[in-house]
Amino acid sequence: MHRLLAFTERNRKEILRDPLSYIFCLGFPLVMLIIMTLVDQSIPKEAGMTVFHIENLAGGILVFAQTFIMLFTAITVAKDRSGSFLIRMYATPMTSRDFIGGYILPMLLLYLIQALITVITAFIIALITKADLKISGLILGIVLGLPSAVLFIGFGLLAGTLFNEKAAPGMCSILISLGSFLGCIWFDADATGGVMLKICRCLPFYYCTKTVRAAMQLQFTGNAFWKPLAIVSICAVVILTLAILAFRRRMRADLA
Amino acid sequence: MKAIEIKGLTKRYKTKVAVDHMDLTVEEGELFSLLGVNGAGKTTTIRMLSCLSEPTEGEAHVLGFDVRTQPNEVKARIGISPQDTAVADNLTVRENLEFMAAVYGKHGTQAKEKVEEMIRIFRMEEVAHTRAKTLSGGWKRKLSIAMALIGAPKLLFLDEPTLGLDVLARRELWQAIEAMKGKITIVLTTHYMEEAEQLSDRIAILIDGRICAVGTLAEIEAISGQKGLENAFVEIAGKGRTIDA
Ligand SMILES: Nc1ncnc2c1ncn2[C@@H]1O[C@H](COP(=O)(O)OP(=O)(O)OP(=O)(O)O)[C@@H](O)[C@H]1O
Ligand SMILES: [Mg+2]
Repeated sequence: MHRLLAFTERNRKEILRDPLSYIFCLGFPLVMLIIMTLVDQSIPKEAGMTVFHIENLAGGILVFAQTFIMLFTAITVAKDRSGSFLIRMYATPMTSRDFIGGYILPMLLLYLIQALITVITAFIIALITKADLKISGLILGIVLGLPSAVLFIGFGLLAGTLFNEKAAPGMCSILISLGSFLGCIWFDADATGGVMLKICRCLPFYYCTKTVRAAMQLQFTGNAFWKPLAIVSICAVVILTLAILAFRRRMRADLA
Repeated sequence: MKAIEIKGLTKRYKTKVAVDHMDLTVEEGELFSLLGVNGAGKTTTIRMLSCLSEPTEGEAHVLGFDVRTQPNEVKARIGISPQDTAVADNLTVRENLEFMAAVYGKHGTQAKEKVEEMIRIFRMEEVAHTRAKTLSGGWKRKLSIAMALIGAPKLLFLDEPTLGLDVLARRELWQAIEAMKGKITIVLTTHYMEEAEQLSDRIAILIDGRICAVGTLAEIEAISGQKGLENAFVEIAGKGRTIDA
């Protein structure tokens, strides 16, 4: 456990000392919330667009921001693999468990900081726009956003393990676009319906947003909350397991 | 117990035999140098002995443990300073050392003392708070070696430790290595004959993955019929080349 925590600490420092992490992981949700709220203000009421109302937007941005943590995980892992540092660590008593845990934990920490910034900003916006967002809902949103955070960290670990430093960010951008679009962050698939909704329902991203939005709005009904939560959790476990298997395999191959 | 016992150790890549049926014994407390031209197989040998590369054939015991079946026992007792300096870039010198100390199970005051000791030995006081990525090549290498030592290994692998060091830094490092002599076993590779001459108890010369000569400096000189390690090396390694060609 000590080794895992030592590696976590190293990764935490490596990440938080990279200015990009502040821009993407921390500054980004804040700016997006403000901009999209301004956009929302200029959409006429008759249009009936509700995705950009803060009570919907907050959950969407919280999930969207996680996709950048995925990108960061991928970059961190791919970068380590391309250098000689990780190889050197293979000759120490560090096990694959230490490596994997040490990559995941600091990313979860990054998520918590990010989510905190998101909900605080959302809370202030809700006060200004007199929207119905409760502190309890926002806090639950952070906690219930965890399975989805794990899912994205798993995707990141997988991308960083399978692809090199150049290709991994590219693969992640595809997932970022897919995730934000099919995650229904910028439009309401439930209202649109049709083929779009069917496609969204085939991928986990839609359920990520749905879970967090429901939690923030304190709507704990089966269809709005429990079902999506179960789907996200299962996907998170599956993807993370795949990522761990891939990482172990890669480690064994590096030591061949 | 022998520090290293190798029998028929072989590493075959798709197109190349990097290490070819190597037999070798290194005594405990010995400083052993592996010499050889580029591509002779020095790094590959060290990688196999430090569980970073699986032998294709043969056996290797390090500190009594089999590198194939007991890698965890081996890894807990060795230190390696790889040919490419390997440090965590965004961590400071001190943080790199603290991290490595923790990896080898050192905590609290014990870890602190060890870190300070390394900073003192390698005279890194002035760069202790500098991030590794902004260090000069020589400082990086010193840090990389200090990181290999911080776990108090019984066996230390130094793959070209003085590559890129200035004359003064090289002398300093020699002193540091000499101070460790006898306390731990050290396996060193280098392209500087002067360095091997000054530091080694025994020397092996590798040609194309095979050991062509092994012994003390005097023995190597006798084998080659030349005076001085450089001349002896040129004689032995040079011949190996012409035979091959
Ligand atoms: N992963 C690999 N795949 C294929 N061939 C390899 C691999 N690693 C090393 N080799 C080959 O094995 C041979 C021995 O390489 P090695 O790195 O052990 O040499 P060396 O003695 O350390 O050389 P140098 O003095 O340049 O560091 C070389 O011909 C090299 O090209
Ligand atoms: Mg080498």
